[in-house]
Amino acid sequence: MKKIIAADHIDKAFGQGIERRKVLNGVSVSISGGEFVSVMGPSGSGKSSLLFAVSGMDTVDGGQVLFDGRELGALKENELADLRRTQMGFVFQQPTLMKNMNLLDNIILPSLRDNRRNVKAITEKARQLMSKTGIAGLEKRDITQVSGGQLQRAGICRALMSSPQILFGDEPTGALNQEAAEGIMSLFADINETGTAVMLVTHDARIAARTGRILFMCDGQIVSELRLPKFRGTELEGRMEQVVTRMRELGI
Amino acid sequence: MYYRIIRGDLRAGKLITLTTLLFVTAAAMLVSLSAILTVNLAGAIDTLMTQAKTPHFMQMHSGELDRARLTAFAEQNGKVDEFQVLEFVNVENARIIIGGKSLADNVQDNGFSTQSSMFDYLLDLDGKAVIPADGELYVPIAYMKDGTAKTGDTAVIAGKEWTVAGFLRDSQMNSLLASSKRFLVSEHDYTAIQASGSTEYLIEFRLKELSMLGAFKNDYTSAGLEANGPSITYPLFKMLNAMSDGLMIAIILLVSLLVVAVAFMCIRFTLLATIERDTREIGVMKAIGLRVSDIKKLYLVKYAGIAALGCALGYALSLVFRGMLLDNIRLYMGGNEKASLTLLLGLGGAVLVFLAITGYVNRVLGRFRRISAAEAVRFGTTQDKSGGARQLRLSANRLLNTNIFLGVKDVLARKSLYVTMLAVIIIAAFVITVPRNLYNTIAAKSFITYMGVGNSDLRLDIQQTDNIAAKAAEVTAVMEKDPSISRYAVLTTESFTVLKEDGAEERIKIELGDHSVFPVKYAKGRAPDAGHEIALSVMNADELGKQTGDVITLKSGGQSLNLTVCGIYSDVTNGGKTAKAAFASQAADVMWSVIYAELVDKTLTGGIAEKYADRFSFAKVSGVDEYVAQTFGPTISSVGTASRVAIVMMLLISVLVTVLFMRLLVAKDRYPIAVMKSLGFTNADLRVQYFARAAAVLAAGIVLGTILANTLGERLAGALIGSFGAASFEFVADPLAAYLFSPLMLACPVLIATIIGTSGTGHITISGHIKE
Repeated sequence: MKKIIAADHIDKAFGQGIERRKVLNGVSVSISGGEFVSVMGPSGSGKSSLLFAVSGMDTVDGGQVLFDGRELGALKENELADLRRTQMGFVFQQPTLMKNMNLLDNIILPSLRDNRRNVKAITEKARQLMSKTGIAGLEKRDITQVSGGQLQRAGICRALMSSPQILFGDEPTGALNQEAAEGIMSLFADINETGTAVMLVTHDARIAARTGRILFMCDGQIVSELRLPKFRGTELEGRMEQVVTRMRELGI
Repeated sequence: MYYRIIRGDLRAGKLITLTTLLFVTAAAMLVSLSAILTVNLAGAIDTLMTQAKTPHFMQMHSGELDRARLTAFAEQNGKVDEFQVLEFVNVENARIIIGGKSLADNVQDNGFSTQSSMFDYLLDLDGKAVIPADGELYVPIAYMKDGTAKTGDTAVIAGKEWTVAGFLRDSQMNSLLASSKRFLVSEHDYTAIQASGSTEYLIEFRLKELSMLGAFKNDYTSAGLEANGPSITYPLFKMLNAMSDGLMIAIILLVSLLVVAVAFMCIRFTLLATIERDTREIGVMKAIGLRVSDIKKLYLVKYAGIAALGCALGYALSLVFRGMLLDNIRLYMGGNEKASLTLLLGLGGAVLVFLAITGYVNRVLGRFRRISAAEAVRFGTTQDKSGGARQLRLSANRLLNTNIFLGVKDVLARKSLYVTMLAVIIIAAFVITVPRNLYNTIAAKSFITYMGVGNSDLRLDIQQTDNIAAKAAEVTAVMEKDPSISRYAVLTTESFTVLKEDGAEERIKIELGDHSVFPVKYAKGRAPDAGHEIALSVMNADELGKQTGDVITLKSGGQSLNLTVCGIYSDVTNGGKTAKAAFASQAADVMWSVIYAELVDKTLTGGIAEKYADRFSFAKVSGVDEYVAQTFGPTISSVGTASRVAIVMMLLISVLVTVLFMRLLVAKDRYPIAVMKSLGFTNADLRVQYFARAAAVLAAGIVLGTILANTLGERLAGALIGSFGAASFEFVADPLAAYLFSPLMLACPVLIATIIGTSGTGHITISGHIKE
């Protein structure tokens, strides 16, 4: 499989003077097409910073990130925006949907920027995705009129509209109850089945255990990596055991 | 904590803090100045009128005077304290030459008199009743101000020479609004000059109590005493004196209100942005049990500081500038003794501004109550209600570009947020349009119809001379034979007494003659043609309570005459109170005569006017255009200036408010902006969205403002002009300027300000705002 992301010795720090704190410290990682990756670690270990750095949503202080062979640091603001809009999908912990718009409008919003003439086709695609993600019929609902899980599903629909190469999730189940979280994780797995790479940040072993490759972070570095066979939906307890054991070994 | 908040605030918005300080300073200065000026003006007028012993009631009269009858009336009337009749010789302006220049172009009626012996003194600049020596001339202060005369100049009046010995303050006629001016000469010189002009009498009374004035006026009128001329009372003298400086104070106060409003807006925007920024912390403070009043105090301190500093600076500046503005009052009315009181009141004005500002800040901070601790801690921004614009669906939009659609939708969805900016744009459009249209209207040729003047080319005024009727006949005899004149009309103004419904009597000036030759525009009805008809000016109709069709009773030569009101017209001349009739008058004193003429070739107006002026030295001859320019020129040009000042002020304020508002909006929207960016919207996309918001508000504001200007504004301007006697006022607007250039002039700077104000979107990072 071709590499989508290749990060090489990236550094990132926040703050200034004595308050300056390094959140990424020479991290190298690569992600190939179709991979299902999760990043685990305690709070402040740099998980989210890594996700923001490799997706070009944040700049890096040192090292470089290649996305699909293009160096993100060399791209202009607009080129980065184009890349995000056409090649990547994002799902955050809080469903970042726009107020004052119904679910359907929220989902088609990024796609309409380029293709206003194809509203019909775009709307049709959105309806299909909504039905696939289990929120068919909620098109005209306001974002205050649906549950957190449904909002997150709408967010996923929006991320999938451009058929991205990779879907990033920053604690996408963090704000959901267990049942809703498991539904979302199944959805991610389904998406991954279709060939889209998925990279999730989580602190929940139960979530990480469903992915195929787990990166453990501590103090701005990837300290360990665990590869698991494809999750078939039955062996979750055993996979969790492996994840938790590794965490214990690492002292995180 | 205080320090951190204040430092954070100052760092975040140096520009806005400075702007706020600037406006607070300006507001405090203006309010303090107007307080100082008001006290000084009131004090100075009182001092002047006390020193001069201004009459409580004065009747001007020209013609025969029965001194014995007047004296008897004054002695018998219990309300009269003192009584005198002063003489006043009106000399034609062309015959008054000061420092080699004649006063021919002067619009005032200039006359000469001697120092009074009892009251109504003419004061020199030290406040003393000056008695000139033979050959000495004291000149009204206004002519010192405008540079017409200076001490030591030689004056030649009706061929006799004087030396300008000094200047005087006249508690009656100081103001340029009083149309007469008194020069002071010695008794001996007065006798010498008396034959060179027409004598007018000032019949003056001082009453035991000023409160008896109303009753006394009735006594005077019903006694049927001399009354060929206007009568003026003490309060009116006071108002005349206060008018021009009072107008300046009113304007300063108006401007200061505007400045205070802008200061409020600056504060509101900064505060809202600060609250947005600190919502989480405010939530935390609430969550840990701090009272709203405690939290308010943290934020109030900064504004109390800015307000205190601004007001102190403003007060200091007002002390610096007051001299400049007081000069005029000092010159015309002399000093005012209560200096410490004025300083105190000025300080009071500044304190008032301080209180207004801290009070306002306190009110805006009341929003803290609405911040829910849980929401604030959880979301970090205040959650405003999403409302409206649901019917505007992106999926149904085929018309607009997506970014523009999003901008417009946002405005409709969060109307309450955009109201401030909308209000400012509406006000700006209104304030730009109204003075401009007013200027266009009064500068237009058609405005003459509001002046009680028919559309003619030439105007000859015959006044302040004897035998007016004969002189008018002399002119018309020449006109009759003049082939360059196509038609003419003689209108003679005479004074009559009207019997009011309640039995009281009132003097009224009626213009007699053939009004069908040069008809004016009638608001109601038509011109009088039969002998028993009369047309009234709007103000007279109002005052007499008459409508067309009503009957009015005149007293003329001992007989009463019933006239039917046939028309009502606009007139802004002669205080707006005139009347027109066609009956033949048997008696009465002719006050003045005006001859209107229409020329065969209008391009020759100048030459023909000159020809008549040379031939009839007793008449003031002018082309009607020239007459309008002379009468209304200064008003037109000051309305023009006011309109330009209004445009500049409003543009500045709109730009400032837009920049501040857009900054606030960007600060408030940083989260959705970050989301948009994470979805792949570029900075340019976001700028288009904000641009569309501003454009939507701007378009709505300009449309509403222009509509308001043409309805409410027209009515306001109409009321203003109506107070001078014009009815059925309509704007004469230049459509290209009013509907294209004015909006563009407002739109361009505001849109540029939007670009500047939203430049901050580029600095909003995705990671800074949505990272968990």
